[in-house]
Amino acid sequence: MEFRHRNYSAELESHALPRLRAGAHPLSAPPPPPPLSQVDAIDCGNTDFYDPLRGTNNDANAAPPDHDNLNEAADHMPTKEWTSFRRLLTQRFPVSKMVSVASMPDVLTRSGKLLEKSSTNMHLEELEDPQKFADEGVKTITWQEYVSRLHELKDEITRSWLAEDRVTSLKLSIKVAKLLMDTSVFEFYPTLFVLVTDIMDMLGNLVWQRIKRKAEFSEDGALRCNLAENFQARDICADAKETCYNWFNKIGAVQELLPRIYLELAILPCWRFLLEQPLDSLRRLVMMIRGLGDPVASAYCRLYMAHCAQKLPSHDIGYLVTCVNDIRVVLMQILSANERTHKNVKLNKKLQVSLMEPTIEYIMKCIFTGLSQRQVNEVLSEFGLMKNQQDLGSVSCVSIILHHLLKELPIEVVSSNVVQILHLIEFSKDNSFDQHMNYRLLGFRLYERKSPVDIVDAVLDKVIQVIALYDSLDEYLKVVDAYTDLILQNQMDNHLKIILEGISKRTWNKGVTEDEMPSLQSLVVKLLSHFKHLEDVFSLDQFPEILDVMYGKSQDVVFLHILNMATRNGRISDPTSIQLLFEISLALHNNIEFMNMKDDDGQVACSIARFVHMVDYGTEMEHHLAFLVDCRGAFGRLNELKETLVHSSNSLAIQALKCAKKHLNFVKSCVTFSEVTIPSISAHRQFDLFLETAEVAFLGGLVSHSDGLIDSAISCLHTLDIIDGFRTPTDVEGLVSSIRKLCGFLIMVPGCTLSLPVTYFPNSLFTLISSRSWFEPKMRAQIFSAIILLLTTLSQKRLPYHANSQIPGNDMLYYGDSSYNQELVSLSKLVLENLLSAVQQEPSQAARGIMALEACNCIASSFMLSNELLSSCLTLVETAKSCLSAKDRYLQSTIQLLNKQSPTSVGTMVSTFV
Amino acid sequence: QHLSLSLYIYIVDDLNFQEALEGKIVVKTQSSISHYGIRLTVKGSVNLQVRGGSAGVVESFYGVIKPIPIVNRTIEVKSSGKIGSGTSEIPFSVNLRQRDENLERFYETFHGANISIQYLATVDISRGYLHKSLSATMELIVESDKADLLQRPLSPEMAIFYITQDTQRHPLLPELKSGGFRVTGKICTQCSLSGPISGELTVETSAVPIHSIDLQLFRVESILLGEKIVTETSLVQTTQIADGDVCRNMTLPIYVIVPRLLTCPTTLAGPFSVEFKVAIVISFQSELSKLHKKSDPKTPRLWLAMETLPLELIRTK
Repeated sequence: MEFRHRNYSAELESHALPRLRAGAHPLSAPPPPPPLSQVDAIDCGNTDFYDPLRGTNNDANAAPPDHDNLNEAADHMPTKEWTSFRRLLTQRFPVSKMVSVASMPDVLTRSGKLLEKSSTNMHLEELEDPQKFADEGVKTITWQEYVSRLHELKDEITRSWLAEDRVTSLKLSIKVAKLLMDTSVFEFYPTLFVLVTDIMDMLGNLVWQRIKRKAEFSEDGALRCNLAENFQARDICADAKETCYNWFNKIGAVQELLPRIYLELAILPCWRFLLEQPLDSLRRLVMMIRGLGDPVASAYCRLYMAHCAQKLPSHDIGYLVTCVNDIRVVLMQILSANERTHKNVKLNKKLQVSLMEPTIEYIMKCIFTGLSQRQVNEVLSEFGLMKNQQDLGSVSCVSIILHHLLKELPIEVVSSNVVQILHLIEFSKDNSFDQHMNYRLLGFRLYERKSPVDIVDAVLDKVIQVIALYDSLDEYLKVVDAYTDLILQNQMDNHLKIILEGISKRTWNKGVTEDEMPSLQSLVVKLLSHFKHLEDVFSLDQFPEILDVMYGKSQDVVFLHILNMATRNGRISDPTSIQLLFEISLALHNNIEFMNMKDDDGQVACSIARFVHMVDYGTEMEHHLAFLVDCRGAFGRLNELKETLVHSSNSLAIQALKCAKKHLNFVKSCVTFSEVTIPSISAHRQFDLFLETAEVAFLGGLVSHSDGLIDSAISCLHTLDIIDGFRTPTDVEGLVSSIRKLCGFLIMVPGCTLSLPVTYFPNSLFTLISSRSWFEPKMRAQIFSAIILLLTTLSQKRLPYHANSQIPGNDMLYYGDSSYNQELVSLSKLVLENLLSAVQQEPSQAARGIMALEACNCIASSFMLSNELLSSCLTLVETAKSCLSAKDRYLQSTIQLLNKQSPTSVGTMVSTFV
Repeated sequence: QHLSLSLYIYIVDDLNFQEALEGKIVVKTQSSISHYGIRLTVKGSVNLQVRGGSAGVVESFYGVIKPIPIVNRTIEVKSSGKIGSGTSEIPFSVNLRQRDENLERFYETFHGANISIQYLATVDISRGYLHKSLSATMELIVESDKADLLQRPLSPEMAIFYITQDTQRHPLLPELKSGGFRVTGKICTQCSLSGPISGELTVETSAVPIHSIDLQLFRVESILLGEKIVTETSLVQTTQIADGDVCRNMTLPIYVIVPRLLTCPTTLAGPFSVEFKVAIVISFQSELSKLHKKSDPKTPRLWLAMETLPLELIRTK
């Protein structure tokens, strides 16, 4: 067995492609514009599509559509906004399991049953609210039963209607509407409202469809006319009008006010069949709702009216403005309820206002949707808010209404009336809504659009004046948070200084509560986002103090922000910054430790690792290494970081090698640092890191360190298991690739005759791979091939590359030594036998074929083909033939190689055999 | 045999035949039938009775009064013949008024407590002694002749009312007397039957929270009995105007639909009269009211305040 002589330089030249000078740098050329793609015409969704198979609607013989087909698309589909608003409404008020009702209507008792509360709970509730139990007839029902019963009622109404028993449908609907008279259900009321109005809308649609069909078809089913979308009352026949009139009469006969209003609202669009001006009814209904004395019931009735009115063709918002003004009157009476002596207030004021708020929000949104500038001014006049200058001081508004008004006003109006708005906020101070939240909202709205500096300045002067009187840090932060972006945007350094002082003073006085921390976090993050450089932020006088008082999750968020900000702009060289960021990283790390949290997304670890990576002490390399030692001590649990430490240390060593002033001892220290750190990193990453460090050590001339590191790298493979980290094929391929890299590196590593012969490491690697059962045949074959190629290279007179001119290569040390060559041959034989065995063990047929060819190429390029080796190659070729197609190009090229490489004496035999 | 009989009748305004009743008789049958004649009878009358109230014991014993006939006409739509299977329609026309007849004028359909004005149309199909006669009856809703409808619009007059503790003639709760209340408004005195009773109401002040404000519609029926007039007032309908303690000084609308079958134009006939009035009833929150939830709405209570006003109902175009 004899190694083949190879001239690597000559081989490189022969395989190189011819070089041509390029006229221009390919990356500098501007890319050609892409060809204009054909834009498909957008289908406008033509609803006038004519289906010839369906025939014309004007055909007198056409059968009229089924009157009772409820699946037909409704003329008045609820808007998306209403649908989503209802969903939010039910989610906004969590409902307790048991619902108290003032009396148990018979509609609820058909399937529901009274649940006896335990006497203890009953007694406890009685202690909390004695008045409630003094009232006779307080009953309870689970909200699931309540909801379930309402669904049943909805089905009953539908069934009655389909059976043409419309009287029953109406009676049941009246009973359903009456449920809204009971506001003692407290937080369940919004959910009840959603369920009841769903039924009301269904009934309204059924009635509408019935009358519309009467208008369009005669008694015998013949088509009378097609009603246009904008039909008028004069277009309706007498028969349809009569039916419509009857419906309004039936509903008008309901004694109780609330269900009568709800039912008329449900069929509100039907007034179009009778009246040329349906809005007249709407204006009357607005006034009628005033008769509902309960604030919650009246507010939700107005909400339903706002919804139903959208079904009318014309859009007049006068009634909505009246709604808001009436709600304001109600709220003012609630807020001054302590002046009354006889009112039996079951709901506390706060809960009442809370329940009413969504209705204000929705109505205000309806008012301002699609409004022009002039109309906005008219609305504000109707609200009584835009009076002349003299009256500004006396104008006030209920806080919660002002809040939602301010939320919906167009930004142009806010900007141009900001002084008046400030006055309104100042003089609208009541219990319905916190005043500081309105100041806060104003700040957010001003930021929506670029405002003139003088306006922002005036507002800030006023707001800062107001909040200076705040003792509460929470309120102070809530307002300041809204104005921070404005201050930073307009570079108002003086205002920024004032608010930071204000925060600092309030934090040192009383500390920061957990509830206040999110606002503080928001403000600090805005500061960090605004400034480009970390130094600019920390130069603010109170910023470090504010940072000191933060804790918990908010502190972590801010610290992460600082860390990411610092690592965004490149190298970090300032020792003071490095120290600060180190302490921040330490705090983040310790918080994770302390709270026993998992850094699930690895965000903290990545940020700290990135920070360590960006640190640059320049020529102060000893300080840098000391820094790395500190980091290892501080962040010992972060695997990602320790890997960064190893990379940084190795990089430091390379830098030292390039610097003539540095001694070899420093390089040795860096290598030792890495060598000590790697064992504590998770096992599946150790091999690569050991290899990297060995390369660095070798480059520094530290041969013994390099040998030790290589030995450690191979040893750590002993501790690997299939479970540890090699879960995916990518991991396995990575490991094989790393081992190949090690083989390439070993070419340069000189052997030591006595303790470490050249074949020591290849032999260790071979022994390891052979003994580990979890190395698959494919992996073994690839690694064994690499080892054979390594041994072949070591046998050459000239090695293909060197790394350190001061370290003699193995070619200088051992070429020509017969015992050296004998060692190489001996190990090669052993590895070759195992390579052939590995190929045959591969279960996959296609893979086995490829492996056979790869092994064959390895043998042919490594050895002089003796008869024995040729026989092995022929066996491999036969294996490949049985696994692959005869036309496989790899197979054909391999056969050609064999013909070329084989001795002349056996050439004929190969040709004949093939 | 399966047999169903349907009757459709409508009234038309025909210049040639005043007060003519025209319509059609719809017969649905599975097999053809023979008959000896189809007759249509139209009857209308005012039925009066006296029960309790201001009448004495003797009057109630002899309270049944002979009905006042308005119309009684019978025509033979068809003489003997055969009706085919399936659905058959038989038109008819009947003149309800003759010049020489001495009958009362037409009054509108009305279903009251003691007075009811009703019109019925009956179809009889004679089928001989061996078969049972077929018959169907339908009530006619009669409204005033168009010729009698008022040409003038409604009077814009509104009655203004004040309800305070001083206007009540019955005892009130002490807190109501001392604290006081004031409810004002206006309501129409003349109302079209096709429109609502309309007006306004404002609670200006009230020391006691309000439980409910209702508008009650009453019928006032008077019957001439011998030389004596017996009058009885009964409730037609209650409509809630305010539910709960409403805000002070806010105008609430009064909007009450007049029930069609239970009302008719205000009628002042010789033997009887039908009139209407409205009462605004304010119910205050009190513990007493909870104990008497089912009380008679007409009876004065400590927690109730009310104001009654006359109301004329008229038929307009």
